[in-house]
Amino acid sequence: MSSTTVRVLYIDDEENNLQAFRASFRRQYEIYTAISAQEGLEILQNIEMHVIIADQKMPNTTGVEFFKSIVHTHPDPIRILLTGYTDIEALADAINHGDIYRYIQKPWNDLELHNSIKNAYDAYKSKIDLRNKMQELEKTNDELNRFIYSISHELRAPLVSVLGILNLVKMEGLYNSSGEYWGLIEACSNKLDYYIQKTLQYYKNAKNVEEKSDIDFESLLKELIDLYTYIDIETVFTLNVNQPVKFKGDIFRVEVILGNLISNAVKYQKQTETHKKVNINIDVNAFEAIITIHDNGIGILKEHLEKIFSQFFKGNALNGSGLGLFIVKEALNKINGKITVNSTIEEGTTFKINIPNAN
Amino acid sequence: MQTRTEKVMLIDDNDIDLKINSKVIALSKLFDDIIICRSGAEGLSYIKKHINHPNLLPQFILLDIQMPEMDGFEFLELYKNLPLSFLNSCKLAILSSTLDFGDIKKAEANPYVVRLLKKPLYPNELEEVLKATFNSAH
Repeated sequence: MSSTTVRVLYIDDEENNLQAFRASFRRQYEIYTAISAQEGLEILQNIEMHVIIADQKMPNTTGVEFFKSIVHTHPDPIRILLTGYTDIEALADAINHGDIYRYIQKPWNDLELHNSIKNAYDAYKSKIDLRNKMQELEKTNDELNRFIYSISHELRAPLVSVLGILNLVKMEGLYNSSGEYWGLIEACSNKLDYYIQKTLQYYKNAKNVEEKSDIDFESLLKELIDLYTYIDIETVFTLNVNQPVKFKGDIFRVEVILGNLISNAVKYQKQTETHKKVNINIDVNAFEAIITIHDNGIGILKEHLEKIFSQFFKGNALNGSGLGLFIVKEALNKINGKITVNSTIEEGTTFKINIPNAN
Repeated sequence: MQTRTEKVMLIDDNDIDLKINSKVIALSKLFDDIIICRSGAEGLSYIKKHINHPNLLPQFILLDIQMPEMDGFEFLELYKNLPLSFLNSCKLAILSSTLDFGDIKKAEANPYVVRLLKKPLYPNELEEVLKATFNSAH
C-alpha cells in the first residue's frame, strides 16, 4: 500500500497557482491540474482521483458548484476547497451540499496543504476500506443465508425419511418389538427435526424482507391449532376472534409468533390436569391486533419471567430448545409488536401480544 | 370408477422415500397399484405413452418438489398441457419435506394441486385428502 502514489487533481483558473502547486508537490504526489471545472471533469472521467482541490472563485463554475455537480458521479475522492477570501455563505453551502473535507485559505501554506492532502488521502483510504469490508460482509451474509437454507433442506430430507420409516414400523406393528429402542429413535428424530425447524425459522426471521398481506386471524388460528394439536388431542382450545376490519401484516412472522406460543401452550401443560385448556382471544381494530393466549399449564417461575425471551434459556429442563420464545421476541421486534406475560406457577400463563395493523 | 383398479403415481427422485411411501400406500390399501417414477420426465412420458389406455393411467399423483433437472413446479407447467380428458380424471397432491414459505404458497396457489402433504406421509392424512377430493369431484 505504501507504494501507491496519491493522485491529486487541482482546479484553478489562475495558471500561476497551478504552476506553484505543481512545483511544491510534484515530488510527493501524482499531480493533475485543470484550468477550469470543465477540464477538471474531463480528467476525473478518465483517471481515478484520490484528492480533489478546487479554487472557489472561478469564472463559469465555482469550486462549490463543481463539487456539488460531482456528488453522485464521483463520490469517492476527498474534496478540499481553496479560497482567497472568507465567504461564509460559500463555505456553509460547500459543507452542506458539496461533501467538503477541508477548507483552506489562499495563499496556502505548503506545510498546511501538504498535511491536508495527506489526511485527505487517509480519509479516502478508510472510506474505500470500509466499503470493501461492507461488500465482504454482505457476501458472507449472503453465503451464510444460503448455507443455512440448504442445510435446513438437505439435513431435513433424510430425517423426514427416518420419520417415515418409524411410521412404517408402527403400521407394521413392530414398534414394541425391540424394547424401547424404536421409541428412543423417534424421540431423538423429533428433537432433531424441531431444532432444524427452529433454526430455519430464526434465520428466515433475521432477514429483513417484510411482505404485507391480508391476514384473517380466524382461519390462520384454526390452521395453527390443527397443526399443533396433531400430537396432543387432550388440550381443548377456545378461540374467540373479533375482526371487524381488515388486517394487513407480515403473515410469515405472525404465523411464527402465534405458532410458537400455541405450541408452548400445548407443551407446557400439567401432566395431571384433566381439563387442559387454552383460550385465545383476538381483537382487531384499525390500528392493531390484540391477542391473548391463556393456558392452565405449569406456569413460569417469577424469577424466570424476565429471562424467558433470551436465547437458549430453558425454564423447564426436560422440554424445549430455549429458542421458541426468543424467536417470538425477535419476530415481534421486526414488525414493531409487543409482548407481555403474566404467569402463576401451577395455575397457568397468559401472553398478551400487540401487532400493528399496516392497513 | 369402482370396476377398474385405482392407481397412484409417485414422482420422487429419492429412492428411499419412494420405497417408504409405496410401502405406506400398500399397507394402507388406499390404492391397488403404484406407478413409481424417479423424475418428472419419467412421469410425463408414462402418462403420454398410455394416454389412450385409461386403465393404465393413475387417478392420483403424489409429486415431490425438490428434484434435480425438473422440479415439481416445472413438472406442473408441462402437466397442465396434457389432454383435458386425463386432467379431469386425475388429481394431484404435492408430497414434500419443504419448509420453504414460498414453495408452500406456490403449491397452494397452483390450480392443479389439490393439497400440499408434508413428508412423512401418514395414511390417515392421505385418506382424508382422497375423500375430500373425490367426494367433491363426483
